[in-house]
Amino acid sequence: MNMRSAGGIERVLPVTLAGLLPVLLLGCGVADRPPAREDGPVTIRVLMSHDPPNLSLIGKVDRNSQILAAQITDSLLRYDEHMELQPRLARGWEFSEDRLTLTFHLRAGVRWHDGRELSADDVIFSVEQARDPLVENRSFAPQFRDLVSMEAVDPLTLRTRYSVATPDVLDGWRLPIIPRHLAETGAALLTGEFARNPVGCGPFRFVRYRPGEEIVLGANDDYWDGRPRIDRLVFRIYPDQRTGYQALLTGELDLMTVTPDLWHEARQTEAGAHLDGFVYYRLSVWQVGWNLDGSNPFFTDPRVRRAMLLALDREKFNESLVHGLARPAATTFHPGSPWTDPTILPLPYDPDEARRLLEEAGWVDHDGDGIRDRDGRPFRFTLMIHASTQGINDHMAAWQQQSWAEVGIRAAIEKLEWRQFRERRRAHEFEAAMAGLSFTPSPDQFELYHSSERDAFNFVGLADPEVDRLLEEGRTTFDVEARRAIYFELQQRLHALQPIGCLLHFPTPVLHDKRLKGIVPSALDHWRITRGPREWYWVAEDLAG
Amino acid sequence: MLLSVVRRLATATVTLLLVTLLVFCLIHLAPGEPLGLEPDDEGLMRLGEQARAELRALYHLDQPLPKQYLLWLSDLARGDLGRSFHDRRPVVRKIAERLGVTLTLNACSLALLLLVALPLGTFAALNPGSGWDRFAAGGTYLLYAVPVFWAGLLLQILFSVQLGWLPLAGLRSYDHEFLLGLAGLADRAVHLILPIVCLSYSGLAYVSRFVRATLLENAAGDSWRAARARGLSLLGVLYRHGFRQAGVPLLTLAGFLLPSMVGGSVIVETIFAIPGVGRLFVDAAFQRDVPVLMGLTLLSGTATLAGILLADLAYVVVDPRIRRA
Amino acid sequence: MRERLPSNLSWGAVLLGLLAAVAVAAPWVAVDPARLDLDRVLRPPSTDHWLGTDALGRDMAARVLHGARVSLAVGLLSAAIALLIGLPLGALAGYRGGWADAAVSRMIEAMLCFPALLLVLALLAAGPRWFYGMSDVLRIALVLGLTGWMPAARYLRAEFLKLKRSEMVLAARAVGAGHLRVVVRHILPCALAPVLVTAAFAVGASVAMEAALSFLGLGVRPPVATWGGLLADAREQVDRAWWLALFPGVALFLAVLGCNLIGEGMRDLLDPRRSKARP
Repeated sequence: MNMRSAGGIERVLPVTLAGLLPVLLLGCGVADRPPAREDGPVTIRVLMSHDPPNLSLIGKVDRNSQILAAQITDSLLRYDEHMELQPRLARGWEFSEDRLTLTFHLRAGVRWHDGRELSADDVIFSVEQARDPLVENRSFAPQFRDLVSMEAVDPLTLRTRYSVATPDVLDGWRLPIIPRHLAETGAALLTGEFARNPVGCGPFRFVRYRPGEEIVLGANDDYWDGRPRIDRLVFRIYPDQRTGYQALLTGELDLMTVTPDLWHEARQTEAGAHLDGFVYYRLSVWQVGWNLDGSNPFFTDPRVRRAMLLALDREKFNESLVHGLARPAATTFHPGSPWTDPTILPLPYDPDEARRLLEEAGWVDHDGDGIRDRDGRPFRFTLMIHASTQGINDHMAAWQQQSWAEVGIRAAIEKLEWRQFRERRRAHEFEAAMAGLSFTPSPDQFELYHSSERDAFNFVGLADPEVDRLLEEGRTTFDVEARRAIYFELQQRLHALQPIGCLLHFPTPVLHDKRLKGIVPSALDHWRITRGPREWYWVAEDLAG
Repeated sequence: MLLSVVRRLATATVTLLLVTLLVFCLIHLAPGEPLGLEPDDEGLMRLGEQARAELRALYHLDQPLPKQYLLWLSDLARGDLGRSFHDRRPVVRKIAERLGVTLTLNACSLALLLLVALPLGTFAALNPGSGWDRFAAGGTYLLYAVPVFWAGLLLQILFSVQLGWLPLAGLRSYDHEFLLGLAGLADRAVHLILPIVCLSYSGLAYVSRFVRATLLENAAGDSWRAARARGLSLLGVLYRHGFRQAGVPLLTLAGFLLPSMVGGSVIVETIFAIPGVGRLFVDAAFQRDVPVLMGLTLLSGTATLAGILLADLAYVVVDPRIRRA
Repeated sequence: MRERLPSNLSWGAVLLGLLAAVAVAAPWVAVDPARLDLDRVLRPPSTDHWLGTDALGRDMAARVLHGARVSLAVGLLSAAIALLIGLPLGALAGYRGGWADAAVSRMIEAMLCFPALLLVLALLAAGPRWFYGMSDVLRIALVLGLTGWMPAARYLRAEFLKLKRSEMVLAARAVGAGHLRVVVRHILPCALAPVLVTAAFAVGASVAMEAALSFLGLGVRPPVATWGGLLADAREQVDRAWWLALFPGVALFLAVLGCNLIGEGMRDLLDPRRSKARP
């Protein structure tokens, strides 16, 4: 670049800019954004991390599609925020004497979004579709496995017959109901018109879906339980949390689930001053399963299992890595559930007691190498974990490794890909395996602990007659108080046995604009309970107030 | 000549099919089945034995492996790549969505690469040994050693977190649908800047040095000087005696480029949250999504073989000495 | 013939030598890299912790130094395996031609078409049980070597093809030299340079590939630190802890740079033709 050309540029540049300016102005249009909420329709925008696999409300569901289904359509009954079942489309129900027949009385005057009336026939259709393996509904299909027959006695009365009498059959009736006259059957349900334009009878109707972008729901003016207080519910699909968080800060989003780190950050920045939030704990627990089948000499002794947990300073881990938001867990029963014994507390951090228990069980450091041993075998085992997108998995394993080393136990970490991890765990080819475990609201944990399930989900291989008996009884007891007593006893026994070391309940922090009110958190989530988004409302108040 | 081309095409097709067969076997070797639950799935949801059996039948997983592969082949012959196990959407659609993004990214980064490397190499060749030459060599060399991983993270930290000039990740802004026309394009472009830089910088060293070396090799000869003496412009000499001779290696390079055009970089896509082919592949592998994997293999395999074939063909055409080989 | 080594080579050797020395000395020089301290989580660089601490309070300097051991070992070993497979195959294809060339070329093409990641995943996730008994370094090096021999093979094949017809070789054959003699005395010295160059670059590439594998959770198992694993961890804290990304990356960069310098230096040293083009 020599001096001569500089003069030319000087003259050319302003002219070019002047010429470009009108072009730029014309080109940079900004379309109409939704009007300010103070005087226009209330649109609530929420972050969704990925597209739901299917919009057919029943087919191939994952958590996101369940959330959507709960807004677009209704079910016979639903949980409230205290985890008690409440009537919705069914205004009442009763069991027969022998408990094998369950009769529902449906509410009259409920209409689908297209105006047709809902009847028992639609319920039968929905169950048939959910049970069809080709529809791939994993959450509700297993719960209808004992269903023998269904009959629409009249358009508003449904009689169902089961082969086994258990109170948990009610849990399955949270199934979203879809209209027979609109939905296809079988595999076509997943790929046909209904999956593109689902129609339900719920508080919100489906407006549109743009893949990878958003799902828009509009309020249903004719909803039987009253019109929602907001006008539109928009799910913005955005996979990157951090960017979503920026949008929340700038007011582009109204509600999103965040990580503990972002929660902590929001509480500290000026930009987060207009945000409110809450933390809820899902029906899940992070646990270490000890292989009890005798293939290793370590974990068959309950004292050792107890000691393993006593050696972990969970509060410290919680403070340092989860900003104190996690809750130490006691059993696989969720603290927010009415079936959980509140007197059972998580084991404390007591490394001295851990050492004492280990010595009592025969594990003493005989050769002075820092590792306990018994009968010549050192206490060295492998902790199996699975690869995950969050580093918390690895962090927990490293923390446990060090904690156990301090009480004379050497743990090696084996990290496997998820499916491989599941295979190995199911085949009992492990010594200790750490992962998360999720539950339904029902207290029945038969598959996890019963000796008959050792080839299936009882991956630790527990075979305790007392536990078996309590599980069997709990399954068939209808009286709520009696049932509760049975499960309390079960939890006491499990807590003493420690077959599965329950570590932490991880938090689900949610941030939302202060002006969005009426959100009711629960263990299930704030979407699928009776007081869900249809009760949310927007208050256009002065934010400083 | 034509015969050998046809023969090559035939062997390429056979190779491709063999690769798909191998991929098929490999994916079934991996433990765990496609129908398993993901870590996030809720509840003790296990299908009964009968339900599981019916699902397996739906996906043809109950058939013996050779039969499953033949089923896939027969679908392929009809132009049907099947439906993904994960969300039952047609494989073709899933790949096509991602392919657009990947192709755009790759094309832009290739353009950027050439835009910088060609002048750089040429200038270096014309002034060998100068400070500029050494600086270019040293600079691009250092760049080559920077792992893409690290570069992506550092760029994010610098331009997005610290300076706030560029977006952190993703393809479009939050409110992109309200940005029309040029503003929308600008939004897109701004999101692509960091990923494109990440994809292109490592090739700088190779291409610019390649250009320099090729030009110098031919410039060393007298023909070059003679041509200049005869009055040929610089550009003419560059073309006639420089780039023409570089034909063969250049074409080999092009042959390598074709497959990398349709392949997404998993690292860049993960760091910048870009829904490209690379991530689709990794997700499909982890989910044992056989139809998607087979479709992607077909795609990358075809691109690879096409690239190789083109390079070889060009090689034969350009260099008569090899023709008879 | 030059009197002294090209500067590239010396710098590269110095760099790599330094890194290797650091790697070897790590257990004596650095604190325990696995020692976590939940009271000192995510501290920036300070006099206590020169490179800061990570999300578990582990000393980053120690982790980076120890990471050198594994990363360099994986890089060197996998490059060695890749060359061990690729070079003979490439040489065979280039020199013998005919059926050997056809077979090897088809093999190379097939491997190139093959989604490498799938192979890596399948081998790492689904390998036979004895596979897991091996040390991590060996396992990953084996997998990377098995999936990375193609470029070396192709390059060498091209070189052999070219050199086979060079005047020097034709002359040697005319005089009656046997194949082996021709290969060893005439072709190899010329082909050696690109081979060494490829080798050097291959080490760098392997180190980077290991990083990618760590990213996907398939790399060396925790809590062993590798540079790639450290960078993957850093990604989670990208907006909070810049030091987690900077230092392992610098180490990785220096290693790759060292390899490249050595490669280039070797090329300058061994290839007489190239030295003419240099200023």
